[in-house]
Amino acid sequence: MLSLQDLSFERQYRYLFRQLNTEVNSGELLQITGANGSGKSTLLRMIAGYIEIQEGQILWQNQTIPELHYIGHQNGIKAYLTVEENLELISALINTSKNNISLAMDEVGLKRFKNSLAQKLSAGQLRRLALARLLLKSSPLWILDEPGTALDTQGQEWLVNLIKQHLAHKGVVIAATHQPYSFGKILCL
Amino acid sequence: MLVTLLRSEIRMNLRQTFSWATPLLFFVMVVCLFPLGLGSDPIALHQSAAAIIWVTALLAILLSLGNIFQSDKEEGFLDLLLLSPHSLTLIVLAKAFSHWLIYCLPLILISPILGFLLHLSPYEVGVLIITLLLGTPVLTLLGAIGAALVIGVRHQGLLLSILIMPFYIPILIFGTGTMLAASTHLVINGYIAVMGALLLMTLAFAPLLTGIALKIGANQS
Repeated sequence: MLSLQDLSFERQYRYLFRQLNTEVNSGELLQITGANGSGKSTLLRMIAGYIEIQEGQILWQNQTIPELHYIGHQNGIKAYLTVEENLELISALINTSKNNISLAMDEVGLKRFKNSLAQKLSAGQLRRLALARLLLKSSPLWILDEPGTALDTQGQEWLVNLIKQHLAHKGVVIAATHQPYSFGKILCL
Repeated sequence: MLVTLLRSEIRMNLRQTFSWATPLLFFVMVVCLFPLGLGSDPIALHQSAAAIIWVTALLAILLSLGNIFQSDKEEGFLDLLLLSPHSLTLIVLAKAFSHWLIYCLPLILISPILGFLLHLSPYEVGVLIITLLLGTPVLTLLGAIGAALVIGVRHQGLLLSILIMPFYIPILIFGTGTMLAASTHLVINGYIAVMGALLLMTLAFAPLLTGIALKIGANQS
């Protein structure tokens, strides 16, 4: 269970969020919504550990946050590496074997582009490649910032199924989104 | 992981010819400008050779420093580096080493030709190579700290230069000092030892400080 307790964040003398309390159980999706600049990405980056907690605490089953997958606004894809090379590099960085790369490329529909440089891919294909990271290594916590950006209808459906599969395996997903899914909790900032 | 990271960095940079070739061309062109400005007097060129090559190499490396982390930041890849279960210090070290291989090693390889152009003797060229081999990693490692500190700042080039250049002074002094000692046939062991010590010291602290700077940068974004 992920627990956000009395979480506050102040930037330039203005609170983006104050005394935020919520809990997300295993197998649950927390969708963070709100206007532009309301602090959705900041909250996600705080949970992921990029931004220091100013007030309050974040606990994962009453311990510190475990290994997680974070996919932000930007895809984290190197333009001058091929699709396969990108996944090899990511596998090395997240300390997992290369065994799942082929499967991940297949799953996101990029296997036939495996030798193409990432800079040649469309925005939607790049997003799929970024999301392929989720398939390289199992991790209980997924933090996704607008995960459906640039995806076509088919891609959106695939993403929903992927999230549902993760939840079915007792994973936790926290996603910032402007178009909430029909399932999961909603936290409005 | 380090091997994969190193291989990827080299691949990416080699695929962007303009990226690694620009500092090299800058180095060659600026060094070649000096004989035009100073005249063809061999003695004048010989006396200034060490300073010309060292200062130009320093500027060429400064020119390339933006490439260490900027694309990682722009592409969101930095988040992945920071979240990696591997040591950030080792990741930084691998990136700095790849930067040295791609941007500094070509400068060192071409410097004998430029040294002869400036009327250095074969012995002096040998010493020049040793000083560059010891000094350029220090320039890269110190530059990495600066590059990490200004990450996310727009038009960071000038800021990075101003920030880092004062820290380049000791290695510049010992680099050119070694060359001066070599040209007057003095013993250079002491100079080389100091440069080696500077390299070891920088190797010990710079990757750690760069990692801290990167984390601070991520905290600000």
